[in-house]
Amino acid sequence: MAFNYDKYLRTEKMPTLWCWGCGDGVILKSFIRAIDKLGIDKDDMCLVSGIGCSGRFSSYVDMNTVHTTHGRTIAYATGIKLANPTKHVVCVAGDGDALAIGGNHTIHGCRRNINITFILINNFIYGLTNSQTSPTTPQGFWTVSQKVGNIDPTFDACELAMAAGASFVARETVNSPKKIEKVIIEGIKHKGFSFIEVNSNCHINLGRKNKMNSAMANLDWIDSITVSKKKYDTMTPEEQMNLLPTGILKQDTEVREYCDMYEEIKKAHQGQRGKITQDDFEKKI
Amino acid sequence: MSATREVISTGNELAAIAAVDAGCMFFGGYPLTPSSEVMHVISDLLPAKGGASIQMEDEIAGICTVIGASMSGVRALTATSGPGMSLKAENLGLAQMAETPLVCINVMRGGPSTGLPTRVSQGDILQSKNPSHGDYKSITLCAGNLAECYTEVVRAFNIADRFMQPVIVLLDETLGHMHGKADLPTIEAVEAGIVPRKKFDGPAEEYHPYECGPTEPATLNPMFEGYRYHFTGLHHDKNGFPTEEIETCRKLIQRLEDKVEAHKDEIESYEEFMMDDADVMIIAYGSVSLAAKEAIKHLREDGIKAGLFRPITIWPSPDTQMKAYTDKIEKVLVVELNIGQFHAEVQRATSRLDIEGLFKVNGRAISPYEIVAKVKEL
Amino acid sequence: MAVITAPANTPVWVNTDRCKACDICVDACPAGVLSMQAEPTSTLGAMISVIAPESCIGCNECELSCPDFAIYVADRKEFKFAKLNDSSRARQEAIANNKHRLPADYKEAN
Repeated sequence: MAFNYDKYLRTEKMPTLWCWGCGDGVILKSFIRAIDKLGIDKDDMCLVSGIGCSGRFSSYVDMNTVHTTHGRTIAYATGIKLANPTKHVVCVAGDGDALAIGGNHTIHGCRRNINITFILINNFIYGLTNSQTSPTTPQGFWTVSQKVGNIDPTFDACELAMAAGASFVARETVNSPKKIEKVIIEGIKHKGFSFIEVNSNCHINLGRKNKMNSAMANLDWIDSITVSKKKYDTMTPEEQMNLLPTGILKQDTEVREYCDMYEEIKKAHQGQRGKITQDDFEKKI
Repeated sequence: MSATREVISTGNELAAIAAVDAGCMFFGGYPLTPSSEVMHVISDLLPAKGGASIQMEDEIAGICTVIGASMSGVRALTATSGPGMSLKAENLGLAQMAETPLVCINVMRGGPSTGLPTRVSQGDILQSKNPSHGDYKSITLCAGNLAECYTEVVRAFNIADRFMQPVIVLLDETLGHMHGKADLPTIEAVEAGIVPRKKFDGPAEEYHPYECGPTEPATLNPMFEGYRYHFTGLHHDKNGFPTEEIETCRKLIQRLEDKVEAHKDEIESYEEFMMDDADVMIIAYGSVSLAAKEAIKHLREDGIKAGLFRPITIWPSPDTQMKAYTDKIEKVLVVELNIGQFHAEVQRATSRLDIEGLFKVNGRAISPYEIVAKVKEL
Repeated sequence: MAVITAPANTPVWVNTDRCKACDICVDACPAGVLSMQAEPTSTLGAMISVIAPESCIGCNECELSCPDFAIYVADRKEFKFAKLNDSSRARQEAIANNKHRLPADYKEAN
């Protein structure tokens, strides 16, 4: 089926400025297909992107778009969403943007469980600024800030999101565009903070000096470090250490969403209900 | 605005009430002494009116939510003190670049760094001129009494929407926590005076948000109404998209400067207290001006014809009017709770290097008697 | 769903204004339908070309994996796609082993 992406694109901005073979384009296409399948009006959605290659995402979609300072997509999005709770707000940020400088906002966006869909494009490096170490760059890789080999440990962003309270957490890779589309659809439908990590290939900045010179080599590496959650759950800790599970990792529809709870605050102040107490919540601590 | 409402309150509370009366529908912030009461008060006022108030995880998130809400089309407020201004600087710069209106209240306290959290200072004057890197024109107002903690916040919202940029409103710890009587304009007068930001109502294809005259602000429509465009902190073209084109970049920076500079008369505000026959000109602002007025009464009783020139708009500074006075008056004394931040501006504006200064930087107020003693020394 | 109508009798077509010659679609194709060709005016000196449309099986892998909106596949209702066969597979292998370009002297099997 020849999908008409142009309907959702700022076509005068094509071709994208991303490198040849960059997975960001695949994610953009999956996102557009998801929006179309959900029947979302372009005027009902705001897309907020951060700084980095993924930051250019917002230039390309024909919606209300915001290109923020480094690391702050969720903070801007929280303001847009809380001031316009009936509208859709989507964030797109890279691994440096979301997990380094923006780590705090990521934690609290998850904690608040505000109804925002957050797409983390993790290419395991700082791409735009030419190959500095990111919080997900594997140890032992060459980076421009650690040219004799990276010693910085990594962490699992999805584990962080789950621990911080995100009620929908998923991971897919650019090797599976239809799956990316599916989790974006589920994430947008989900009422709460939807944390979606998509592993992408940066063969120019990560791959080139780390034995993955081509898009395909980088994509193969991503395949080799990811595995379905179903299979992951059957593995030993030693096996799990070097793999990232993909699929929907968490989906909790019982947790109260932030804007919904804020409506209760409005009601309390307008005399439509009593004070909010612990009885309003299952979780007491 | 004619005053007809008598209210007893604190500066911080008045500032919060003013914002809501002026149509503010969003607050985002973080607790920081001595500004926190603004948040405490507005967190009750806004949801009662259907607005939203949120305490974020840090100062930076606070200003970002405000910019986001304002980009979407609502009047938005934050309140902080010196350390918070330092943290907010980068994003205030984005608001300048993207031309996003907002009001940022700074209840000044002892600095630098953690400084004196519960003590007064006026140490953020220079910071207010250029909190963020790069070229842009700050608009900074300074409340000089309790009533102005209300009226200057109202004015700030109208100026922000008129010039499409952040407006800083300076209070200080003394005024923020001062509890007393204020004569305020009526709510009707405030509401009648609200001038919302301009909107384009032609067809979307003909809408170019950042295309405007060289001394005009951008016309930025609210989100979600059919006008889809782009906000960015990068240099941008008439539709908001990033560009490095030489002339576009030059014109943008020039316009950010000129949109304020060319219309300074709309922003400028000052008080002239007993300046008609003054032989001694005292320049003071904020809570210090209250002591200065008291000092002037004592000096006049002692036969010294002192007067007060009180800038209300700090940036851009009232340089023309200050110079008109300093060209005729020999004895000029700047009194401030910092080491000479506005004093430096007075010297620049008046081309005089002999302006006197009474500076206090230990977190305590300047008493009228200290001012009297200093004037007598001149 | 937002769709584009395929040109008549065309299983797969490309937009050379948008293609960056990244090789991904050529690599993804199981049937040797696509190949890069030399193109001195483009950044990488190459450009996508549909060399064997008659072999296209309509799997859509090229479209899904293209990051640049540069390749499109017809709907099953618009075109009767081929089945994968040894000849297509052989061509694909030759392309894959030759840096994603069909060797100049390639002779079709069967």
